[in-house]
Amino acid sequence: MRWATRAGVHIDRAACAWLIRRFIDSQAQFAFVADPAEVPDGATPFDIRGAELSHHGPDCSFETILRRYELTDPVLWRIAQIVHEADLDDQRYDAPEAAGFDVALRGLSMVFADEEVLELTGPVFDGLYEYCRRAMLLGREPG
Amino acid sequence: MNQNTDRARLDAPGLWVLLCYRVPREPSAPRIAIWRKLKRLGAGQLGDGLVGLPADARTREQLEWIAEEVTEAGGSAGVWLARPATVSQERELAAAMTAARAAEYGAVAAQAAAAREAGAAARAAALRRLRGELRRITRRDYFPPAAREQARAAVETLADRGDEASAVTVPARGRP
Repeated sequence: MRWATRAGVHIDRAACAWLIRRFIDSQAQFAFVADPAEVPDGATPFDIRGAELSHHGPDCSFETILRRYELTDPVLWRIAQIVHEADLDDQRYDAPEAAGFDVALRGLSMVFADEEVLELTGPVFDGLYEYCRRAMLLGREPG
Repeated sequence: MNQNTDRARLDAPGLWVLLCYRVPREPSAPRIAIWRKLKRLGAGQLGDGLVGLPADARTREQLEWIAEEVTEAGGSAGVWLARPATVSQERELAAAMTAARAAEYGAVAAQAAAAREAGAAARAAALRRLRGELRRITRRDYFPPAAREQARAAVETLADRGDEASAVTVPARGRP
């Protein structure tokens, strides 16, 4: 399946791409566009103005995708809190990790192309998933 | 994009991203949520239902999301990229935004001063809270006033007067 999002990816788009590839469509192909009008035919747009899989009310796109695809894994919802705060910084959640992710993603998008940012951040989100999963099982920060 | 606006600001007006919007008066909850978001972004008020920020990837994106939220709330909104026709017009808007931030920094500095006489635990709590507050103000501070450094210094005195551990770690982080 083809998916499309805005060029110059930041935390929300990088996390959404990881989520799509890991939990929705393992064959996902991503296109990066400057304008919503440039979304290729047949591609599903996300984190782009006017798209269904985008910000809605207080939710960032990552949260919207979790809702739309009925992904109820609590580990993913913990990651959603971090992504939300890194993206919107509105103090809706307590996610001290967010500031670090925000800086890391901003820096990466300054020196790498969008495809490369997704390649680099995929393993980071894999690691974050495992970290959050263990933290949830243990009820404390895993060693 | 940021560099462009910074460089241009010296001699010619820079690029701004504007949001023109109209939200229905009722229900008031989405209208207030939108107002809060604009306030948190530090948007400069250009007129009734017209706000602006110096254009960069982040400010543009944030205003686009707010435009979307306005539309979902049954209102109408548009996002524009624009340049003020004159430098003085830009300075006027920047001055208003700077004054708003200076007032926020002043409030932080006053709270830091008040916390200096508190006990160690209260001082540590105030330090944590005020550092967070400073970080949030700095994010919406596009034309830093002198009050920023004053507020930062006032907050950090709470750390300098703390126990020995914090007196050691603070300079180690590269503070002058």
